[in-house]
Amino acid sequence: MKKRHSFSLRKRQNRVGYLFMTPWIAGFLLFTLFPFAATIALSFMEVSSTIRGYEIRPVGLDNYVTAFFRNTEFVPALGEFLMMIVPYTFMVVVVSFIVAYLLNHITRGRALFRTIYFLPVIIMSGPVMWQLLDSQTVIHGMALPDDFDSLFLLSILRSYSPAFANLLSGVFRQLSTILWFTGIPVVLFINGLQKINPSMYEAARIDSANEWQMLWKITMPQIRPVALISTIFTIAQLSTYNISSVYNLIRTATANTSQGLGFAATYAWIYSLLVLLLMGLAFLIFRQPRAKEVSLP
Amino acid sequence: MRRKPAWGRIAGKTVIYAVLIVISFVYLEPVFRIISKTFMSAPDVIDPAVQWLPRTFSTDNLKVASRVLNLETSLVNSLWFSSLLAACQTLVSALTGYALSRFEFRFKRFWFMMILMVFIVPLPVLMVPRLMMFITFQDLTKIKMIGTALPQVAMALLGQGVYSTVLILIFYNFFNMIPGVLDEAAMIDGAGPLQVFYHVVVRLSRVTVLVVFLFSFVWNWNETYVTGTLVAGTIQLLPGKLALFDQQFESLVSSSGSAFRINEAYKMAATFISILPLIGLYLLVQRQFIQGIENTGITGE
Repeated sequence: MKKRHSFSLRKRQNRVGYLFMTPWIAGFLLFTLFPFAATIALSFMEVSSTIRGYEIRPVGLDNYVTAFFRNTEFVPALGEFLMMIVPYTFMVVVVSFIVAYLLNHITRGRALFRTIYFLPVIIMSGPVMWQLLDSQTVIHGMALPDDFDSLFLLSILRSYSPAFANLLSGVFRQLSTILWFTGIPVVLFINGLQKINPSMYEAARIDSANEWQMLWKITMPQIRPVALISTIFTIAQLSTYNISSVYNLIRTATANTSQGLGFAATYAWIYSLLVLLLMGLAFLIFRQPRAKEVSLP
Repeated sequence: MRRKPAWGRIAGKTVIYAVLIVISFVYLEPVFRIISKTFMSAPDVIDPAVQWLPRTFSTDNLKVASRVLNLETSLVNSLWFSSLLAACQTLVSALTGYALSRFEFRFKRFWFMMILMVFIVPLPVLMVPRLMMFITFQDLTKIKMIGTALPQVAMALLGQGVYSTVLILIFYNFFNMIPGVLDEAAMIDGAGPLQVFYHVVVRLSRVTVLVVFLFSFVWNWNETYVTGTLVAGTIQLLPGKLALFDQQFESLVSSSGSAFRINEAYKMAATFISILPLIGLYLLVQRQFIQGIENTGITGE
């Protein structure tokens, strides 16, 4: 009797659960899973739109050959994207951790600072970013690199590796634009910091650890999962803003239906694979290290 | 009982505040730049001596920018467009969050993983087939899809709108905080699952519903990639007009035949106009916004 009851309850739970999940699952299959698979398939096809609809013809690796060897824009754009996203993500995650860490140490004015740091989340959009970056390069385009060149450290760097120095001054120049991506990571980090068990700090303090040691020995290891989420979030955000040139390349390829959507699919697939690889890399970096075996005396 | 503040402590606090204030300025610098350029008169813009404060205050830029943006139409369009999508997204996120929070169905963990995975799939990889699907559908049924809000409404209603994952997680975590006995009590009184969902759960989470709606509103407002591909400028929306500002400006000027030249101030004024509604909204409900992100609970799992 009892067994039957629990069985029917489980069945009911299952049924009603799926009832509420249906819209999402349907959308997932139709608008996410299917397009994802289709893009991979389309990257090996040539798609031409006719009056009777789409005509799809397999062309093998032709699209890839075109993307990598015939087209002279794509590979440099990918390189440029990598040169942008790696330092930017690093900056965003580090800065948002520092900001959150500092905010966690003060009580007065915390809400105000948080409001300021969160503002970009609300107003940031592709066109706004574009206008801001555009105006920055127009106004300061000539003046700023020299400004940073006068920094002693940077001029030393430039004599060793001009590429790295350029990268660094690029990061400096767009500092506030980069910082705009820290809005949500800051909130996540603050939340994560507050969830760290305070008795750990107390125990460390009793063993006369200082703030610096506690930061490295307690806070950093504890915050690792949040750092992972923030990194993945930042990569996801940065890769969908039109500040990267690959992104614009894909956009024009998608809009340009005459050239063939198969080609756009190839671009999109290579680009997305790269983004997913970067996320995978972040996952490996922040992965929880295997717990060391501690032998109790 | 508080310890007496030692000098080292005070110095430490001062350094922290100083650093935070400096960072705040770096954050706000673009906003200040937008505002200051917006109100500059034409001579001020080219004058290198004028840095932040305009010498002569002028609203000319705003007038020009709002004409180029076609403000009345695009503002109204942006408002209903974002609200419509936000309403759809809020509804479906609530349903999904409720399912995850209350029911033990088969493969629940799998679906939860999929919801998280959707977040990291880069959008460009989905857009080409989506576009083809909508065009094919349009050709088959003769219902106009491309250039209308329909494709995005369909996607939002089926849970694949902007940052759906985050919205679902906000609901999921909030529903987890509502005690399940309330549902059970209603069910004993003969309420069906949908009635429980609406009369008990949704009514208890009005604030959450509002927060999710506002987030969705803001994100849909700012979203330009999917909108740009599917609506393709047919519905005039503020961010879309901002993206095309330079071209629109040129065409407007050449048609009127005057000797206007585009400058930074016009562009900044246009940017100002397009973020102004959002800033207003943020000032009203900023606390709820921040708490909304905190309540996603993605830091806890």
